[in-house]
Amino acid sequence: MEGRPRDERELARRAQRGDARAFEELVEPHREIAFRVAYLITRNPTEAEDAVQEALLKLWRTLARFRVGAPLRPWLLRITANEARNRRRSSGRLERLTLRAAAVSSGEAAPSPEEAAVAADDRLRLLAALEALAEPARLVLECRYLLELSEEETAAALALRRGTVKSRTSRALAQLREAYGSRA
Amino acid sequence: MDLERELRALAGEIAWPQTPPLQPTLAPRGRDLRRPLIAAVALALAALAAAFAVPQSRAAILRFLHLGGATIEFVSTLPRAQEAPLSSNLGPTVSVPDARTLLRGSLLLPRLAPQAPLHAQGQVVSLLFLKDGQEVLLSEANTGSAVFLKKLASSATNATAVQVGPDPGLWLSGAPHVVFFPGAPARLAGNVLIWQHGTLTLRLEGRNLTEADALEMAAALR
Repeated sequence: MEGRPRDERELARRAQRGDARAFEELVEPHREIAFRVAYLITRNPTEAEDAVQEALLKLWRTLARFRVGAPLRPWLLRITANEARNRRRSSGRLERLTLRAAAVSSGEAAPSPEEAAVAADDRLRLLAALEALAEPARLVLECRYLLELSEEETAAALALRRGTVKSRTSRALAQLREAYGSRA
Repeated sequence: MDLERELRALAGEIAWPQTPPLQPTLAPRGRDLRRPLIAAVALALAALAAAFAVPQSRAAILRFLHLGGATIEFVSTLPRAQEAPLSSNLGPTVSVPDARTLLRGSLLLPRLAPQAPLHAQGQVVSLLFLKDGQEVLLSEANTGSAVFLKKLASSATNATAVQVGPDPGLWLSGAPHVVFFPGAPARLAGNVLIWQHGTLTLRLEGRNLTEADALEMAAALR
């Protein structure tokens, strides 16, 4: 594992000594990804926000156990995902992922209006197929491809072994390919 | 385009909900920041009030205030802790010169006759004395912004921004909170005044301590 950036190590040391400002700087780069992981699990922005808030405080309280130089992000994602799983409501409407309006209407990468329309339709169908997968398959693909988490980070977030992430990703891609259509 | 590339391309098209500001509310610290510190503490308290005004689903939202070397976290459920005498776990007695050295020359004391013994536990110097027949515990540590003292409080504990002369402070009252001193088990604490004087963080605790008495005692320390 490559070493962490020098300033992250310094921030971690300062945060471990109780420097709350250093803690803020330390976690700021991971704020958005932590929220999105929590959102993918809870499918509720308020629950996701609560999960991350609580995760940050748990991180602060347990920071003394953090090994300076180790990557912070997997640890934060693991705590955040745990909190998110605890908060996920069994009842109530779960939000579905949607595409940005521009992505649906413009087909940004397509050279002609016809191709743009086809590209936009493909994106909608792909997202619908992804959302229709069983949750374990859906989450592993969303972590790996929509959030671009590494296998290690995905394993931390989903409380899986790294080998399980690899095999589950492979199976989930096969399921998605079948659902999306043979053209993929 | 293969499926994995299509999925990666999809990532940039998702309409994610806006990431909310997720940082815990913290007050800046430092000897030259007293006025901004007051404002920041006030803002933190306002955020706290707002947090507790929202429905049950938000009950677990946590904020923490930071003043000098003390952190106060507001939690939905307090951990188990028991009441303990104010005299417990204060550490061995130390001389005034030794205590002053430990606090890097910043020791502040009430005018007492006779002077009660000082104790030291880690970086914390403590003095237990009587005020109108009631025990009062004064604790001091010169750690700058490094945390030496943690408190966990529920929404039933009131936190009020106060000033001890020119120094910023917090008055905690209402329901008991849980306090963690270094080298001592967690215990319940009642009304407490915490304030920052330069790099020194001070704390006054008493079972029946009133805000007025605490502020008067704090202002009289020399």
